[in-house]
Amino acid sequence: MATHGEITESLRAFEQAYADDSRLKVMNRDWDRKVLILADDLESAHTMILKDGELSFSEGKTADPDLTVISNSDILADMFFGDITPTEPYMNGSLRIIGPEDDILRLDFISLLIWGE
Amino acid sequence: MKKIVSVSLGSSKRDHSVNTCLLGIDFEISRRGTDGNFDRALELLRELDGNVDAIGLGGIDLYLYAGKTRYAVSDGLKLMEAVKKTPVVDGSGLKNTLERETVYYLSKNTQLLPPGCKVLMVSAADRFGMAGALTELGCDMTFGDLIFSAGIPYPIKSVEELEEIARKTLPEMTRLPFHMLYPTGEKQDTQDEKKVEKYGHYYHGAEVIAGDYHLVRRYMPGNLKGQVVITNTTTRDDVKFLKEKGVGWLVTTTPELEGRSFGTNVMEAALVVLLGKNWEDITPGDYLELMRRLDMKPRVQRL
Repeated sequence: MATHGEITESLRAFEQAYADDSRLKVMNRDWDRKVLILADDLESAHTMILKDGELSFSEGKTADPDLTVISNSDILADMFFGDITPTEPYMNGSLRIIGPEDDILRLDFISLLIWGE
Repeated sequence: MKKIVSVSLGSSKRDHSVNTCLLGIDFEISRRGTDGNFDRALELLRELDGNVDAIGLGGIDLYLYAGKTRYAVSDGLKLMEAVKKTPVVDGSGLKNTLERETVYYLSKNTQLLPPGCKVLMVSAADRFGMAGALTELGCDMTFGDLIFSAGIPYPIKSVEELEEIARKTLPEMTRLPFHMLYPTGEKQDTQDEKKVEKYGHYYHGAEVIAGDYHLVRRYMPGNLKGQVVITNTTTRDDVKFLKEKGVGWLVTTTPELEGRSFGTNVMEAALVVLLGKNWEDITPGDYLELMRRLDMKPRVQRL
């Protein structure tokens, strides 16, 4: 089981990788979203915010998320560190994403553009 | 009489059947849509296996491409593996050859593709051959793969960038349910109004709009100014739709049989029967030679 701190670190790595890719900022300048990230095996919540093409995150919940990502702490940490892609856990049900299908697909694309080979 | 059936995840409203003669051999060609119902498509494929001469898979790709690397689409493979005896094709083998030739034909024989003309390809990962040929001719390309498939308003401007993005995303995207990437079933009969409004300007800014018909249709705005559309499968209703939107020219890469052009999967199935070879052993040269014997040319229609 990963810790809340490890999930925070993984999100920091994700945030940094996003910031290093100027193309992603152009791609997402129209996509303002709040993404709630919840672990289902420990008390851990983070909020990722996409606004004007910039990505940031904070610890804790947001009241009105556009997307909610729920999985166990290991999958969340591995995914945001780029050690695994979201596709397999999403397809086998161990990663749940609640929100419009278009947004889910877009989040998947962003993750692949950051960490894809 | 050789029987070819195209099983499609698309709308059953487009079902039809024609008889035709190719190189002296009679063919009965039919198309059966399953309205996006994957299990129904599997069932139908099992029923047809061993009872027809070739099967085409429509409304789904078996492979998507990042340059020369191809990635198998999981849902497409599941459908293909349901067929054990009859040759089954999705059109991808023929598509590269046929669509490249279409581009060269248009450049040589028409004024529809002048050097530097602005081309929007709504999706290129499913037709790298066409993308490569249009780039070779010096067209000003916009690849809409991210715009229309992922809703990311980022026009890809070169084959190199397209390949780089495809290499990053396709290995995983091809594992998702196909309906998340491509309009299936009733989505083929409707337009995505939000995306039409948001991304319609890409159509207006292009002189040529190319790619898969269902994608072209789904996001096409009105008030076009006589643009050229280069695509694969159209029915009479589709031609009417394009005309109403203001399209000036329609080029279909497959020939017309009884008022409609068939998908490349159907044409590839027919060519596989004519060649009498295993699909794996067929080369682009085999297709080219057969296309010459059949005098297959793209259909160019003023709307």
